[in-house]
Amino acid sequence: MKKVIEVKNLTKKYKKIKAIDNLSFDVYEGEILGLLGPNGSGKSTTINTILSLLKFQSGSIKVFGKEMNTDSYDIKRNIGVVFQEVAVFEELDVYDNIDYFCGLYIKDKEKRKKYVLDAIDLVGLSDFKKFYPKQLSGGLLRRLNIACGIAHKPKLIFLDEPTVAVDPQSRNNILDGIKKLRDNGATIVYTTHYMEEVELLCDRIIILDKGNIIASGTSDELKTLAKIEEKVTVEINNLDDRTLEEIKEFKNVDEVSYTNNNLIITYKKGENNFSYLMDYLKKEKINYNKIYSERPTLNDVFLELTGKELRD
Amino acid sequence: MFKHQFKYTLKTLFKSKSLIFWTYAFPIILGTFFYLAFSNIENSEKLDVIDIAVVETNEYNEDLVYVETFNRLSDDDNEDKMFNIKYVNEDKAKELLNKGKITGYFILKDKPSIYVKENGINETIFKSVVEEINNTKNMINTLSEEKIKGELIKGNQNIDYEKLYNEIISKINNYKSNIQNVSNDNLSYTMIEFYTLIAMACLNGAILSIIAINNVLPNMTGIGKRVGVSPVNKFKLILSSTLASYIVELLGLIILFIYTIFVLKVDYGSNLPLIILLALIGSFAGITLGILVATIFKLNDNAKTGILISFTMLGCFFSGMMGITMKYIIDKNIPIINKLNPANMITDGFYSLYYYDTLDRFYFNVISLLIFSGLMIIISFISLRGQKYDSI
Amino acid sequence: MTVFKGFLKILNKCKGIVIMYTVMLLFFGGFTISTSDENSVNFSEDKPDILIINNDENSGITKNLISYIKENSNIIKIDNDEEKINDALFYRDINYVIYIPKNYRIDFLDNKNPKIEIKKVNDYNSSYANMILEKYLKVANIYKSEIDNENILIEKINDTLDEDVNVNITEKQNKSSLERMTFYYNFCNYSLLASIIYIVCLILSSFKNEKISKRTIISSMNYKKYNRILLLSSMLFAVCLWILYVILSFILIGDTLITLNGLGYIINSFVFTICALVIALFIGNLVTNKNAINGIVNVVALGSSFLCGSFVPVEFLPDSVLTVAHIFPSYYFIQNNEMLEKIKITSFGDLSKLFPNILIMITFIVIFIVIINIISKNKRKIG
Repeated sequence: MKKVIEVKNLTKKYKKIKAIDNLSFDVYEGEILGLLGPNGSGKSTTINTILSLLKFQSGSIKVFGKEMNTDSYDIKRNIGVVFQEVAVFEELDVYDNIDYFCGLYIKDKEKRKKYVLDAIDLVGLSDFKKFYPKQLSGGLLRRLNIACGIAHKPKLIFLDEPTVAVDPQSRNNILDGIKKLRDNGATIVYTTHYMEEVELLCDRIIILDKGNIIASGTSDELKTLAKIEEKVTVEINNLDDRTLEEIKEFKNVDEVSYTNNNLIITYKKGENNFSYLMDYLKKEKINYNKIYSERPTLNDVFLELTGKELRD
Repeated sequence: MFKHQFKYTLKTLFKSKSLIFWTYAFPIILGTFFYLAFSNIENSEKLDVIDIAVVETNEYNEDLVYVETFNRLSDDDNEDKMFNIKYVNEDKAKELLNKGKITGYFILKDKPSIYVKENGINETIFKSVVEEINNTKNMINTLSEEKIKGELIKGNQNIDYEKLYNEIISKINNYKSNIQNVSNDNLSYTMIEFYTLIAMACLNGAILSIIAINNVLPNMTGIGKRVGVSPVNKFKLILSSTLASYIVELLGLIILFIYTIFVLKVDYGSNLPLIILLALIGSFAGITLGILVATIFKLNDNAKTGILISFTMLGCFFSGMMGITMKYIIDKNIPIINKLNPANMITDGFYSLYYYDTLDRFYFNVISLLIFSGLMIIISFISLRGQKYDSI
Repeated sequence: MTVFKGFLKILNKCKGIVIMYTVMLLFFGGFTISTSDENSVNFSEDKPDILIINNDENSGITKNLISYIKENSNIIKIDNDEEKINDALFYRDINYVIYIPKNYRIDFLDNKNPKIEIKKVNDYNSSYANMILEKYLKVANIYKSEIDNENILIEKINDTLDEDVNVNITEKQNKSSLERMTFYYNFCNYSLLASIIYIVCLILSSFKNEKISKRTIISSMNYKKYNRILLLSSMLFAVCLWILYVILSFILIGDTLITLNGLGYIINSFVFTICALVIALFIGNLVTNKNAINGIVNVVALGSSFLCGSFVPVEFLPDSVLTVAHIFPSYYFIQNNEMLEKIKITSFGDLSKLFPNILIMITFIVIFIVIINIISKNKRKIG
């Protein structure tokens, strides 16, 4: 597969703090790459550095196979960026805002008009063309923010936390839009600290913490890193210690905990664990209210790798 | 690209209420204040009619020169009326003086005396007039003596005193001084106030370029970041935004000129091309000042605007906006302040056009403004040259 | 305490503005004071400043003319450069210029009444200078027609002009220092208004912006108490500024401040400071947009300063403007300052002369407080 971005040994310091520490990764054509990490893990800095907005101390960045620089206009022409903060003109309406930013890329007026309308369609703002940013709700404003970044139909799109503080409806709209962009052939780099979004959306995931890549791969690959395959939760009133000890001796069991009437069992491998447990409970005539099994989440992966929660 | 940026800069600038206030409305509001406050000042610098009292003593009533002169000077029909006179007794005069109803009073006992409360212009004029009446009396005496002496020398014993006296009086009354006023017509004090107003409008134009340019600087605004990742040369955009803000600024200036010339009757002198030149360069200086503020201060728009307005108001204060004497005091005592003060360069430029026949001083100001603008551009350029940032 | 700390933090952020207005005040007070440093209690006429450009030889009747002018005016020496002369005239550095033509003496003695050119401006001092010159020329020319001998002529002219009029001054007080006080405190109108409105509005808008104020309304802190602390902090700031300005006036102008007239200035400016504070609170309650504050400060402070005579002496303002000015509290503040310059206050009872204007200022204060209360009650429920 063709590499769209190649980052090698990238290091970026703010004064003495290393925001990015010897980072290397590639982005392949046509994929949605998720950059996942808690707040302050260096996601935005990585993007801004790739975009040549920020200075960096060492390393190399290639985009579309060429060295990326401030005046690499032919590269920039094919890039679209949606930044974390909403950056639109208060004084311009929805259409004009998109037209302004699109105009920085597309000179031809007829073509631009079509592109702008396409973008408005894509984010579902057709009914709000003549609205000013102040009149839009938070979710709609985010959509406008995205439209401004992608109206020129770039081949490579950076989306920096586009769904922060967005209502579910707008979020779904945004995520659908991103999928559509990928389907139309764009490569997408997507940062977020919402792991559900990454799982739902991304072909490949890079987990960042303190400027380091701590893991990368597909969602499933990453989950193997969590060393657990299955997590079963059972709501039981009054479980005695003897039973607890017996459960700990089950096959594949990694850990057992019992707090607040919740029995949580984690398994290293995930074959027939659930039915075995059910049989056991039936046999011992233990009453339970609820029982459910979960696959491990990326949060568990993160927890395993760093000892802390993804969301703080 | 240039056109695209230009069009949208114009659009955003014109839609921003606070910008329109500062560049369009504020100078006009302030100009109206000036007009109201100063419309009277030139006239009231001329002599007022002074309230005085005259104590009616016997000596006074017998002294025709005093009686007639005071009558003439307090006559309502007289164009040169100087006094409103109350004829009273001495106690009443004292009382009037203490109450501040009169500037002073005149009393003729053995010597002419005046009583005043304090030193002041009106008191001085009062004194001077009384002295002049006294002089006239002396002149009549001296001249009579001379004439009589002359007649006596001629051997003429039959002197017609009445005729002689009348001759003297008519001589005194028919005297015409030969003083010619060659003053410059353009002496109006308040014009400088209006020039500071233009200076303020020019420099406040900086707010326009601050906003316009912030929007293309990635380290200043989110919009700037967007522009920063687009395939467009930053300097091209800055140039385009600057030009657009310059146009908006000039439009505001034209409105201000029209308002001051036709409504407030401000006189800018008669050299129209040079007035336009100065306005163009002055507002250009303002725009470049804005570029500097936009590029070197890493603050939000509001704080930048605040810094600028403070700078402008201080500059205008030193060039005479809140009292013209301030300009002169600074010019005389700490000239360096006003040599570096762009508000004063503009004010002084207009003033020199209005007041002087020669243009040396005007060109000095124009060149100062150009140097100022050049400096602003160079410093901004240096700080802009690094296209990547340590942090954004 | 947290509210007060927040207050101080914001104040610290915008101290630049306060410093700027104070610097303006210092320049205004400090410099005008150093320029008018004549301080006399005897009757010295307000002598006009005259420049004489003599193109004739300095002898005989010409010399006599010059020495007469010298006696009756302040002779200012300026280079014989028209640009400089015009400048000095424009700035009222000189009130009057007399150009004595070539051969003046000879022509005068020839009975030609030679022409004398002058330059003047339109003010009192110029008119007075003109009177001096006219007076001399009248006597000289009339005598010339009768007396031919130059020496006798000069003697007679001087005899006549020398005859003095008795001048008695009934009240002796150091007026120029009061004049400076009034000047200083009149400018205070601008500095106080601008600083207080700017700072208080900025602080209120920071505290009252919707998100924070929502938070405080639902917080455990009593809303009234919260408001009271904000009010007290603003008041503390205003009073500190006032104290600073009073101290500055003492440093700049000196002991006049310790007289009863000085006390008048202090009381008057205090009442006005409170007035400025409530105006600031009023504006701060109406306007929460930080962008607008700068504009409003400038319009309100500059407007009432220009229209009420803070910069331009009150006597020069047209009546129509002064009538309009009655709607500004500044007008009454400045009227009192002007009154303090003109009358000597000899007892505490005399201070009551200031009361009418102070009462009006207090009325303004009360009215504004009532309005503020109405506004802030309405605003407490959002939307």
